[in-house]
Amino acid sequence: MPEPRVRFRGVTKRFPGMVALRDVSFDVAPGSCHAICGENGAGKSTLGRILAGVHRADEGGVEIDGAVVRFASPRDALAAGVAMVHQELAFCDNLTVADNLCLGRLPRRFGIIDERALRQCALDLLATTGAQIDPSRLMGTLSVAEQQLVQIAAAVGEGARVIIFDEPTSSLGDAEAERLYALMRALRGRGVTQLYVSHRMPEIFALCDTVTVLRDGQHVATQPVQGLTEAALVRQMIGRELGDYLPTHTAAPRGDERLRVERFSSPGRFEDVSFAVHAGEVVGLAGLVGAGRSEIARALFGLDPSVTGDVFVRRTRAVLASPRDALRLGMGFVPEDRKKQGLVLGLCARENATLPTLSRFARGGWVNRRAEHAAAASSFSRVALRAGGESAASSLSGGNQQKVVLAKWLTADSELLILDEPTRGVDVGAKAELHAWIDQRAAAGAAILLISSELPELLALASRILVLREGRLRGELSRTQASQDALLRLMAGLG
Amino acid sequence: MFPLGADPRADLILPRHHVTDPTSPPTLAQRAWRAALRSPQLGLLLVLFVLATALTLAAGSHVDPQSGRMINNFLNQYTLIQMATDASAFAIMGVGATLVIIAGGIDLSVGAIYALAGVVMAMVLRAAGPLPPGLTLVLGLGTCLAVSLLAGLANGTMVIGLGVHPFIITLGTMWILRGIAFVVSRAESILVPASLTAVAKAPLGLGTALYPVPLLGMLAVTAAGGIYLSRTVMGRHVFAVGGNAEASRFSGLNVPRITLGVFVLSGLTAGFAAFLGAAFYGSATSSDANGYELYVIASAVVGGASLSGGKGSAISAMLGAVLIVTMRQAIRTLHLDQNYEWIIIGTALIIAVVLDQRGAKLLTERLARDA
Repeated sequence: MPEPRVRFRGVTKRFPGMVALRDVSFDVAPGSCHAICGENGAGKSTLGRILAGVHRADEGGVEIDGAVVRFASPRDALAAGVAMVHQELAFCDNLTVADNLCLGRLPRRFGIIDERALRQCALDLLATTGAQIDPSRLMGTLSVAEQQLVQIAAAVGEGARVIIFDEPTSSLGDAEAERLYALMRALRGRGVTQLYVSHRMPEIFALCDTVTVLRDGQHVATQPVQGLTEAALVRQMIGRELGDYLPTHTAAPRGDERLRVERFSSPGRFEDVSFAVHAGEVVGLAGLVGAGRSEIARALFGLDPSVTGDVFVRRTRAVLASPRDALRLGMGFVPEDRKKQGLVLGLCARENATLPTLSRFARGGWVNRRAEHAAAASSFSRVALRAGGESAASSLSGGNQQKVVLAKWLTADSELLILDEPTRGVDVGAKAELHAWIDQRAAAGAAILLISSELPELLALASRILVLREGRLRGELSRTQASQDALLRLMAGLG
Repeated sequence: MFPLGADPRADLILPRHHVTDPTSPPTLAQRAWRAALRSPQLGLLLVLFVLATALTLAAGSHVDPQSGRMINNFLNQYTLIQMATDASAFAIMGVGATLVIIAGGIDLSVGAIYALAGVVMAMVLRAAGPLPPGLTLVLGLGTCLAVSLLAGLANGTMVIGLGVHPFIITLGTMWILRGIAFVVSRAESILVPASLTAVAKAPLGLGTALYPVPLLGMLAVTAAGGIYLSRTVMGRHVFAVGGNAEASRFSGLNVPRITLGVFVLSGLTAGFAAFLGAAFYGSATSSDANGYELYVIASAVVGGASLSGGKGSAISAMLGAVLIVTMRQAIRTLHLDQNYEWIIIGTALIIAVVLDQRGAKLLTERLARDA
């Protein structure tokens, strides 16, 4: 192996309540396309951000071409030839493409911006990526794919030798993704080193020559892609065989119908979706990003004003115009983004757990603190929270935070739970506990709608799985029919 | 931890703030001392204590003409009560402002609500003619609270209904309400009945020229605000909405109603302050409480309220008001040039907030290290 272009040496990074990376070391060869993969929360994005100067490592560091670098900002990284293409695009939406591309070095004549030179400079940069974008358009009017191209153009234009792609295809359509792959291959032909952060197997095998696996913030392996099988890679990512990683499923008897939706539609999100969930059942909802899974969950919880169709809760027609309506009907919702939607990080665990139901522990608006503490403590022991109820929610680990969100709906005695990616970003141990909890809730008679991007999770927990593609229900697989392969085919529309 | 299922020992695993040795229960004094050390007001109290001590030492003293004893120029009952009276308007409205700020908003209109409520009360009482003292009190207080309730409702309704940032809405109503006060009063200073002044200046057993009623009003509003925030469902919801409005909505909270509630309460504190002020000084004009909104917000912020929401305390807001008034008093007591008042207060405000934020950052870093 030649002198590495990038060398991570003992990188450790801590965030409040968690260790994101622990002593990670590996090399990236020049001109390679190097995948960094791992489960959600494995630390792969954090690693990319450290290289790009967004975060700083607490211990250890990064070498580029054998020289130790310490970037204080993405600007520093860019000056050293390292750029990042990511979802939260760092552009000024209110300025034009040309302004954004040349922001740090606007061409001037006598102190006035030279618009002609600026446009030419932007066109030259965009040409390097083959992008057909008018430089005078406002950044905010571009699609995500176009914004990515502008980002890559900016990176290449700044002379980047290393480009980090952080899940670049997660919000792209197939055609757009193909164009991105072509561009990446072209960049590789020009000797640009690429780090590709993703957990999508097909992309890794199609694009990359080397792959590094991270698990729970620790380095597992760095190896050539050639000769590797998907199964072996998955094993490295989750740390054990699929079989013993998930709990045994309790086949609870199917009870009364708890939820039925008919001809559920929301323009641009999903269309004509009908299904039912019974007591004692975990119904899985599978689909690729953008297939409409989370959108259905939000609509069920009264968060989508433009939804049409009929909803029946316990066989009675229900109006779900706000989360309060849903709450009154005994529904609980564990949203996708627990930090933004699930928790009030400034409050403590107990205050979060009793937030929707505080008035139950109050008389005349006056909180009975004993009752509140007792209810929270009981819910916390039932979800096996491994932290004190008075700790600030912001200080808890991902797993404990998710347990607090679950405790919130336990306290509310919700019989109908909508769980949207309940184990995202949660470490393996906590994940197993959450799985066992979901299984036991269903066995105890709760009706659960489970949305997950992790197929093994759905396969292990769900009584049956509904598959969505492009906003429509494309099929339903019973527990016996369902397999990773069958699901993927339905999700991707491979017939 | 316990396995799944209800735990019969739930009472035993109630979270505790600190571990105590069961063999020797702490004495009351020990517990008070520990509570003080943990108190979020510790920093403010220390600053106030240091400032008051320095002032006492630097102020010098004079001979009291009545008793013939030496009296400190700062640490004497007249100055302290006067300061409490000055602080009471800021503190009472500061408690209201703190609610709004915790909920993630801001209310710039409290000074104008104060002026309008005072003017309308004075006009209503003038129009009503002579009344028995009890009725004057009820009518006066009722008018002030009614006017300020309507003003708060207007603020809250517009913030919710128009979807415009509260800064803009209350900046607008700040001018509108003061303009209404100006027009209806024709810019006159209107006297209020002497029976009201008698109440506001009741000595309550203290010596002559010592008026504790504004001080008591301040303490009462602070206590009510503190209890509201820490012990009621609404109070908890205020913190939740300011901390994360989206998660609050996802938890089924009625976010618009909570927003409306804080603006109404903020208005009511202005109305109450107006009642005390007009009664105490014996008159009301449309230019009363001009610029108070900034002192009020400064009190809340010096008291640690975060303008990004989710953080703040009623007691701290009161202490913030007391601190600002103490700094103003320092300028008078030390015979500094009065023209420097704004420079000093502005500087102190920035220093206080920077110190508060640095403290929070240090705490976050420590949490990260402990992980």
